[in-house]
Amino acid sequence: MLSRVASHLYWMSRYLERSENMARILDVTQSLAMLDRSADSGGAMTPIVITEAQTEFAETKLTATYANVIAFLAWDKKHPSSIRNCIEATRENARAVRGSITSEMWENINDTWILFQEKAKNIDPLMTGNEFFEWVKERSHLFRGVTFATVRRDQPYHFTRLGTFIERADNTARILNVKYAEEAPDTFDEKEVDTETDYYRLSAVLRSVSALEAYRDTYRDVIDARRVAEIMIFDAMLPRSLRYCMDEATKCLDDLPKDSGRIPRRIASEINAKLRYGTVDEVFDYGLKRYLADFLMDMERLGTAVNTAYMELV
Amino acid sequence: MKDNGTRFAYYCTKIALLRSPTSRVQYGPFLLMHAIKPPPFSHFDEMLAWSEASPGHLQTQFQTQLQHFGGQSQSQSHAKAQTLGARPHYVPYGNWLADTPSTSLTQRRAQADLLFRRIGITFTVYGEEGGTERLIPSDVIPRIITADEWAYLEKGLTQRVTAINKFLADIYHGQAILKAGLIPREQIEGNSQFQTKMVGVKVPHDTYASITGVDIVRNNDGKYYVLEDNLRVPSGVSYMLMNRKMMMRLFPELFLRQTVRPVEHYPALLLQTLRESTDIDNPNVVLLTPGRFNSAYFEHTFLAQQMGVELVEGQDLFVKDDYVYMRTTNGPQRVDVMYRRLDDTFLDPLAFNPDSALGVPGLFQAYAKGNIVICNAIGTGVADDKSIYPYVPDMIKFYLGEEPILNNVQTYQCRKPADLSYVLANMKDLVVKEVHGAGGYGMLVGPAATAKEVADFAVIVKANPSNYIAQPTLSLSSCPTFVEAGIAPRHIDLRPFVLTGREVRMVPGGLTRVALREGSLVVNSSQGGGTKDTWVLGDEVDPVPAAVEGK
Repeated sequence: MLSRVASHLYWMSRYLERSENMARILDVTQSLAMLDRSADSGGAMTPIVITEAQTEFAETKLTATYANVIAFLAWDKKHPSSIRNCIEATRENARAVRGSITSEMWENINDTWILFQEKAKNIDPLMTGNEFFEWVKERSHLFRGVTFATVRRDQPYHFTRLGTFIERADNTARILNVKYAEEAPDTFDEKEVDTETDYYRLSAVLRSVSALEAYRDTYRDVIDARRVAEIMIFDAMLPRSLRYCMDEATKCLDDLPKDSGRIPRRIASEINAKLRYGTVDEVFDYGLKRYLADFLMDMERLGTAVNTAYMELV
Repeated sequence: MKDNGTRFAYYCTKIALLRSPTSRVQYGPFLLMHAIKPPPFSHFDEMLAWSEASPGHLQTQFQTQLQHFGGQSQSQSHAKAQTLGARPHYVPYGNWLADTPSTSLTQRRAQADLLFRRIGITFTVYGEEGGTERLIPSDVIPRIITADEWAYLEKGLTQRVTAINKFLADIYHGQAILKAGLIPREQIEGNSQFQTKMVGVKVPHDTYASITGVDIVRNNDGKYYVLEDNLRVPSGVSYMLMNRKMMMRLFPELFLRQTVRPVEHYPALLLQTLRESTDIDNPNVVLLTPGRFNSAYFEHTFLAQQMGVELVEGQDLFVKDDYVYMRTTNGPQRVDVMYRRLDDTFLDPLAFNPDSALGVPGLFQAYAKGNIVICNAIGTGVADDKSIYPYVPDMIKFYLGEEPILNNVQTYQCRKPADLSYVLANMKDLVVKEVHGAGGYGMLVGPAATAKEVADFAVIVKANPSNYIAQPTLSLSSCPTFVEAGIAPRHIDLRPFVLTGREVRMVPGGLTRVALREGSLVVNSSQGGGTKDTWVLGDEVDPVPAAVEGK
């Protein structure tokens, strides 16, 4: 397969996953906003911090209200990771390789882009709500479903999935890092979750990665900060946990040409080993924040290695 | 068949009502089910014919038919000339149209637009900021060609393309045709499309033009004429395929009424042609595109996908030791055959235009050594140049010893003093074209131009006569087409795609382009043209099973 095609496919799915994650984060942000009536709490800035968009947001000179932040992250044309730009980038990458994906995949993503433009005309950015976020998630699910159901299990499929899981792992780590590590600092003590607000915050984190039901099934107990970290990092069966994402990414890499993939495969296996054979106690002993920062660095190394191994046009 | 006839007569009557004998009137679109505007007497319409003014070699055939159906309308009007009817091969379609409410048509047309947009069958318009993606309008009224006519065209096209390939092999090697004095040497060697680098380069099987798009029009005399031979990178075949796909999706019932010969196997024929262009077993074939900002990018991706070959850009390829490789996730991989959709001069910055960032440095050297086949060959443009066009009939006689089957349009070569003075004197009646022009740019349509435009163009022609040719204004045939105010005749042409591998092959029909602006003769998509599905009918006279037709 052409290196350029691999690169477009990989970024196509990374951008689509990014748009979905952004929608998840904003959806949760919005529901938390209903609990958070104090204007100066800084809660509105959380999604900006998670997605590292502080500089871009500062440039808009907007005040950090929930409505402004959501409008900015969903629609802003200048912010590269806004939902709008992620969907456009997905479609442009797909268009560049529309001969290498199935026509169903192309039509689905092209349709998403056309429908998005309709929505852009009809939705007041400041009133962006749950319905829109659900739509973004649904379009992303649809595309993955179409991919799953139509494409041959060959390199294009593996590169597409690799992009999805690298992006997703990165995102889950960021959500944990910001939404949770701040409230549960490294000197974590076994304080009980007793206030209502804490309950909603933690359940919001779980909901943002579709893990609330999984949590209840697994623990059948009150929502506890430590267990939330455990399920999101180590659960082998939760599709958005770090462990699951890295299991899948490792499998994708194993299915790609082995000779050129030595380095990314090694890095992925290293990351994967830490997740397979780690425990939540170790993580808290080491410090959750440090642990997640290390993980994000590892992911960056992996991304660079994937790029060098398969996609660079040397 | 009887039932068929009754409804057809009804249909004729409705159309006849629209016609005022003395002047053309505007018809309210809601007066009738479909406001079909009749073609002027002087035109040849592919679908509709006046019973008296019905030119063309199909005359006897459909005249009988018209007399048969003409009875009813004759009683309403005193002159037979007012009877307008569908030509026989359009009768099943005409009946269907008369039975289909316009609301249903409108709905399905909207559905078609949506599908085209969703599938992203777009082309890029240049000159606007960053290029804009647009849809090419696809009309839902098909252009129908009879089996006999197609058999004639197919034979003529095969002959023409065969002769052109022999001509190209000849001028880059022995130059027998120049030695015989049939074409002046300076016409070839002074031509900017003649690639001197190609002289003596061996092209496998002497096949220079593997893919040819021949533009054919029908004049108001009912005869077909070849307007030009596109031998470089002819485009449009994807629209031919998508039009058919869309028509079958939207109007499946139409394909039960008549046997329409399939075109869907074009990509398979193209792949076969490309594979046959080399002697290597199981060659690695690629399609070279300038990239997604090119106006025909949709077509490039479409064909590559349909053939199952890699779609490559120049940056994906490199040359090492005079072999061409593509960069893959598995490392470099040899390329044996390249179907290029990029002009000669951009192919290799080392051999041609040094500014080209789209090509592959060293490609020509690899090509000249025979290490890769490029389709079409480099330097084919010299044979589709408008200054060479007048010699094609001579080529057919010279190389094949046959009489040309297809007609050429009479062409005045402004480089000849006698022709030039004729052209200057009669410019208002002629179409004057640049010899290297394409896409409908740089031409004057005399009858449609103002006196000032004609005078201005005369100055340009006089300054560089050898750059221009002129032809009589053909009255392109028309076909009823959906326009804002209903259905009206619009001018059309036809571009069949001729493939030359070990033998000459083509799918029946081709791309029909339609000039959507009233009276316009320019069908190019860059100038407001649309397309139509092109049906070549099967041999069966009446394939309609009674069960389908009967109500």
